[in-house]
Amino acid sequence: MNTTVDPSISAAITASIESVINTALRYDPASLQKIAAINDVLAIASTTPVLTLYCHGTREGVRIMSHCEAPTATHLSGTPLALISLLKKPTTLANSGVELAGSVGLLQRWQVILNELDIDWEDAISSVLGDIAGPVAAKTILGGLNWSKHQGDEQIRLFKEYITEELKVTPSKTELNIFNGAVSDIKMDAERLQARFFQLLNTQTKNTGTSDKTNNKDAV
Amino acid sequence: MSTTEQADTSVDNNTAADSSQKTHFGFEEVRVEDKAERVASVFHSVAGKYDLMNDLMSGGVHRLWKRFTIEVSGVRPGHKVLDIAGGTGDLAYKFSTLVGDTGQVVLSDINSSMLNVGRDRLIDRGVNNNVQYAQLDAQFLPFADDTFDCVTIAFGLRNVTDKDLALRSILRVLKPGGRLLVLEFSKPQNSLLEKVYDQYSFRLLPLMGKLITNDADSYRYLAESIRMHPDQETLKSMMAEAGFANTEFYNLTGGVVALHKGIKP
Repeated sequence: MNTTVDPSISAAITASIESVINTALRYDPASLQKIAAINDVLAIASTTPVLTLYCHGTREGVRIMSHCEAPTATHLSGTPLALISLLKKPTTLANSGVELAGSVGLLQRWQVILNELDIDWEDAISSVLGDIAGPVAAKTILGGLNWSKHQGDEQIRLFKEYITEELKVTPSKTELNIFNGAVSDIKMDAERLQARFFQLLNTQTKNTGTSDKTNNKDAV
Repeated sequence: MSTTEQADTSVDNNTAADSSQKTHFGFEEVRVEDKAERVASVFHSVAGKYDLMNDLMSGGVHRLWKRFTIEVSGVRPGHKVLDIAGGTGDLAYKFSTLVGDTGQVVLSDINSSMLNVGRDRLIDRGVNNNVQYAQLDAQFLPFADDTFDCVTIAFGLRNVTDKDLALRSILRVLKPGGRLLVLEFSKPQNSLLEKVYDQYSFRLLPLMGKLITNDADSYRYLAESIRMHPDQETLKSMMAEAGFANTEFYNLTGGVVALHKGIKP
């Protein structure tokens, strides 16, 4: 159990997350069906704030708990941002900032489901606004979101270019890769040199020891 | 907040057998044999608006306490669960979805009004395949030995006349390895919170009871009975004395409520 958060608070957090996810999943029956087949428990531990959530699939959707009596098949730990980015896109764990213990297969199953998620937002909005206003509103909202995402990505790209190409306050990716390669070469050269040095030192020590022994033998 | 109360024959003294003895009914001292009747009248009175009052008095937090109880229960498909003092069936409903078609849930209460409300609610929610209903006294459970994987009693133990007898009775019907979960009001762990809680319980709570159900006395009893209930450590030791192993408790909302757990060895 998490000892740093009052169980009432962690229960409120899990109840809220579970409710939002399962409401959305009602508009994606295919994903709901895949989730229902996942019986193994995935533990997701956030380092800041310290909170562990456990989840597995049920017929009603995802069950999220703050306390789990069943054994966990996979345990992930990291910052919330690192955990979200890992779950969102299939990638390697290297440099992800996330530590994994247990089955990688369970994580991959969740990643596949999250990437194939296809929530029918039009249906969801129509159920609130009606069959006429719903599709129009859904199209407008989704179009706006897509445009915002595109604009956001574009702005980030332009900003990166500006600080590297115009201001030249940070190196470009290519320069950084070349620099990293050079540092790596120096590191490997230094390690080889060190290994060579120790090899020579050992040889020298061995030779000195042999000659000392011979001298002692002559003295006797 | 005496919300999720249970309709068990009440009181706090463990000497139910001797009718000449006195026991508590809130802060009042009454004869042991009168206690059950008085507690029953409280719950007959509040049964109709029980859920509404629970939500109002706890601000909905009682649902979080119950959610955590479900998580700690570890109940899974195929299990047999007994929900004592189950009232309006919040826990029983969730258990029925967890145990599935191969499991069984018994929703029980000593108070017929509460049990009727719980049964109607579950039927309205479409639960009819794996839940049975039983009007029973927690002190004398009418089940065979080693029957249940899990027994819960939420906001009911403090109303039981002889708590030790009830705990031993529960131990008997649990399977070895089965667990008892007692969700009950307890002692706040912070002195400031305790003062605020006292003011709330003894001033605001009866007022709300009067305004909404026109029954201030029932809600005053609920507040008083909470204060007479054993604190966290005392209840834990009572469970250990009854024969439970690995007894432990979780403080919820700063100790306003505690969830006690014990395993049948």
